[in-house]
Amino acid sequence: MRSWLFRRSVQALITFAVALALLFLLMRAAPGDPLFRLSADRPLSAEAIEALRARYGLDRPVGTQMLEFVRGLFRGDLGVSIEHGRPVMSLLAERLPATLLLGGSVLLLNFTVGLWLGVRQAVRHGQREDRWLTTLSLTGYAMPSFWLGLVLAWLVGVEWRLLPAAGMQDPLLESDASWLVRAGDVLRHLVLPVMTLSIVSIAATMRYQRAAMLEVWRLPYMITARSKGLSEREVTWRHAWRNALFPVITLFGLWLPILVSGSVFVEAVFAWPGLGSLAAGAVGSRDYPLLMGTSVLVAALVVTGGLVTDLVYAWLDPRVRFE
Amino acid sequence: MSSRISWLPCLAATTVLGLLLAVPADAQTGRRKATSLVIVTGGQATLPIPTLMEGPENSTGNLDVADQLFLRLAELGPTLVTSGESDFTPGLAKSWTRRDSVTLAFDLDTRARWHDGTPLTARDVVFTMARAKNQAVSPRLSELLRQIVSVTPEGSSRVVFRFARPYAEQLYDATFHVAPLPAHLLDSIAPEDLARSEFAKHPIGSGPYRWARNVPGQFVELAAVENFFLGKPRIERLIFRTAVDPTARLNLLLSGQADAIDIIPPPPDNIRRVGADTALRLISVPSSTVGYLLFNQRDPKNRARPHPILADVRVRRAIMLGLNRRQMVQAVFGRHGAVPYGPVSQLLWIRQSAPEPEAANPAEARRLLASTGWGDSDGDGTLDRQGQPLRLLLSLPNTSGIRRQMALLVQEQLRRIGIQIEIQQLEFPIWQERRSAGDFDLDFSGVTQDASPSGLTQSWTCTGANNVGRYCDRAVDSLMSEAILGRGDPAGTWIETLRRIEEGVPAVFMYAPTLVYAVNRRYRAVTIKPHSGWITVRKWSVSP
Amino acid sequence: MTEALDVLLGAWRDPRGRFGALVLLVVALAALIGPLVLPDPLAQPDVLRASRPPATQHPFGTDQLSRDVLSRVVTGARISLSVALLAVTLSMTLGAAVGIVAGYWGGAVDATLMRLVDGALAIPRLFILLLLLAVWERVPLLPLIFLIGVTGWFATSRLVRGEVLRLREEGYVRAAEALGARRRRIIFRHLLPNALGPLLVAATLAIGDVILLEAGLSFLGLGIQPPTPSWGGMILDSREVMVSAPWTGIFPGLAIVITVLSANLFGDALRDAVDPRSA
Repeated sequence: MRSWLFRRSVQALITFAVALALLFLLMRAAPGDPLFRLSADRPLSAEAIEALRARYGLDRPVGTQMLEFVRGLFRGDLGVSIEHGRPVMSLLAERLPATLLLGGSVLLLNFTVGLWLGVRQAVRHGQREDRWLTTLSLTGYAMPSFWLGLVLAWLVGVEWRLLPAAGMQDPLLESDASWLVRAGDVLRHLVLPVMTLSIVSIAATMRYQRAAMLEVWRLPYMITARSKGLSEREVTWRHAWRNALFPVITLFGLWLPILVSGSVFVEAVFAWPGLGSLAAGAVGSRDYPLLMGTSVLVAALVVTGGLVTDLVYAWLDPRVRFE
Repeated sequence: MSSRISWLPCLAATTVLGLLLAVPADAQTGRRKATSLVIVTGGQATLPIPTLMEGPENSTGNLDVADQLFLRLAELGPTLVTSGESDFTPGLAKSWTRRDSVTLAFDLDTRARWHDGTPLTARDVVFTMARAKNQAVSPRLSELLRQIVSVTPEGSSRVVFRFARPYAEQLYDATFHVAPLPAHLLDSIAPEDLARSEFAKHPIGSGPYRWARNVPGQFVELAAVENFFLGKPRIERLIFRTAVDPTARLNLLLSGQADAIDIIPPPPDNIRRVGADTALRLISVPSSTVGYLLFNQRDPKNRARPHPILADVRVRRAIMLGLNRRQMVQAVFGRHGAVPYGPVSQLLWIRQSAPEPEAANPAEARRLLASTGWGDSDGDGTLDRQGQPLRLLLSLPNTSGIRRQMALLVQEQLRRIGIQIEIQQLEFPIWQERRSAGDFDLDFSGVTQDASPSGLTQSWTCTGANNVGRYCDRAVDSLMSEAILGRGDPAGTWIETLRRIEEGVPAVFMYAPTLVYAVNRRYRAVTIKPHSGWITVRKWSVSP
Repeated sequence: MTEALDVLLGAWRDPRGRFGALVLLVVALAALIGPLVLPDPLAQPDVLRASRPPATQHPFGTDQLSRDVLSRVVTGARISLSVALLAVTLSMTLGAAVGIVAGYWGGAVDATLMRLVDGALAIPRLFILLLLLAVWERVPLLPLIFLIGVTGWFATSRLVRGEVLRLREEGYVRAAEALGARRRRIIFRHLLPNALGPLLVAATLAIGDVILLEAGLSFLGLGIQPPTPSWGGMILDSREVMVSAPWTGIFPGLAIVITVLSANLFGDALRDAVDPRSA
């Protein structure tokens, strides 16, 4: 097990390093640089532009820039953001919790509501409840999340004023408000963004889980379990769902990067102060340090996610460890 | 499903609902709402400190907050005139005297204090100017202040500015570009360490509002200064709420989560929608933006040669006459835009006596084109000459919805006089690059202008750094330098300059918009100052 | 051939499948006939009075450039359905070809091909497309369809390979070979018709996925280029006016939901007809 874990971790590290190198080069290869905006309104003299380029380290060759970056990475220093004028590390630290909250809530809903409904469907397959849930999940699946987000923000936030249309906190909240009130405030702001992302993903999880459960249903050991006299409930929850978990775990591994990219849009529309909006702004302004910093974080999360997925597989199914 | 498990989800759901309902939003914040103002903006204030807003930090977000934290020596008056001395209103300086043609003396208001209680002195002004003129520290500012030779204190409440030569905008240069910083707090911090210092996280200024807190990515909160020498603001809490996406900004305003917005995002349908909300009042403010279709007078493939089609002024004039600018502006902006005369935004004071722009005349356009040899020999609707069709490439950035919309209208109108336009939308940095390299036929430019008309030299003089179309008229050059550096009243000279520019048709000047701000009707005595939108907030009041 | 018909009829009997098929037919008909009777989707008749809410003259309202939203939605249907059909046909053909080759030839060929497929399946399809489209600036329609089709055959190849393996196990293939049948005959007479059922299912479900994918790409500005109407592009244009002219965004979105839902309902019914155990 240990040697497998070691090999797998080394694999992950290599993937991480390759991804970073590619991103670095890709960013520098793209046309435009961080100072383009200056020349737009009030062009500076050549000396002034050179002074600014030197300040941001843009005048050195790409290889040197990459080396500087890697060296900084080992020190834990990701450089200074050109657009915000502050260390990238502190910017990321500030914005990460919001993205984790959003993504975490979506995943939580997925793995509770999605799983539960999928299993329920499988248990009652063929019956009316199953059919209705299928239609419901297909409808959810058919909705483009970008459209859903726009419609929800407009309808629920602006027209009906049931929930906040954007933002994460109410700035007018008393500074001495209790943590419960604060939590409630954030929760109210969280509903619409989470709905936008989770309606589609829950629908997909439901379908997957249902199909996986039905596969498992017919397996020989299930018949054995039933013949042992176990009730349907026990059969379902003690035996079936664990094995049906595999495809869902695969989904988890796949959903992570999609969640990251989906959250960029959701964070923009709902003004959610997370990494997604930070990165989107950085792309537009070619803020290299910030872009690289965000990419490092995201790459680390995705690679770790893949690693964790494999670990869970290995724990659930010992055969995997010996491949 | 075991009974043990089936009520678990229901319990979870009820807990969540309970938390949601635990915050009756309006009741909680009702009391606070009465004396606060939430403004929704597009950019966050990460470094709202004079002399540090050099590169990308020179953003609206930073400038708006800096205007509240740091007061200037003098502010632009209601006429927005930047030349002379009579049109400015006192700020940190209560009065100024002209000693000779190159010397101005400012008498500081002795009541002025920094937010930590220390009185403001001449030393602060001298210190700030030294930092601002230091090219290593602030390249952009030092260039703007290059005409200032020396800044010397006379006692603790008088500062004397000496300039390199006599010119009309001396007071403007001395006061507008940078507001004083507290020397007693900053002289121990090296300029390159300022951005990362404690001061940067919690700035201390001399303005009507002081820094209260910053919630990253969400909002910046400012609090009214108790003993502000020009009168304590009646609005106690000033909150700048950030939303990068224009749709999110609009939603925040219309859902009641914000009280004011600086620019209602285009198109004008949104202005109508905001106007339909009875709680909000619309305020029109001239914008400092002007949009124009720039002609490339050089061949994009070889800049040494003139453009095969557009080098001829008659063709350019024909294109200008073929466009019904009034109709296009009305379609895209509604009532909130005008056709400019010359490259002049609604904010630039020199437009005040400018003539009306020329009206469309498609018949004349066709005649001009025919006279230069363009005819439709193959009857396909597009003019051609010696086998070459009259086809032009129109480049624009994909970030401007307005220009996108207008480009489609331009394409259609020019098609009717036989010119085929291909629209090329590019990502902003790429568009920028192509523009600088002269790789376009028509470029749909949108420029934000300074308060001072001297900014026009960048684009419209023969050697201007931003003159990518390579327009060159020596007469315009000399008229402009006379207007900027001459002694007399420059207004007439500027009008003459604009007239000559219009004659040369280096571009078709398409739109000069009006910005529409929206402010909740609870607020009284509301005025918006162009150039520094929210600077008058300290004079507003709130009705309960 | 008769198996395919059986499958289709089976799907028809299921009420949800019937609903899906009918709606799809309606959408297809609208896409075919609509543009002939409705106003020009590109015309800007009266720019000074744009963004009109739904009324008798414009049942879906007009957009910011005074274009009729209904005709744009219908033309968008034409574009989306053709992109989907063409791309899916390409994917199915490629997938079937690779699947048959891998399943029939077996051995090293099979191993290499499946390795390739596994690798490709590990990367989300959207990412691959974004990467490809970011390099190319404004992709014209046919190359776009090609790119979408060429990134969608991986799962199908596994499916078809599975079918081929199953048929081999059942001795079908060996019997035919023993009788002296040639390879091509075996493939086209025996393997392909049997794989047709699952292929049909996969194709129908893929149509929904491609419609969503193309809409997403157009929303990002990387798919169908303006002024050609596309559902995703219309939603993109509506983004800035959602509060003042919501009809410009709601209708294209509903069109996507209804079309994809119907395709999936019908696909599900087809799958139940092909393999009753999965019902």
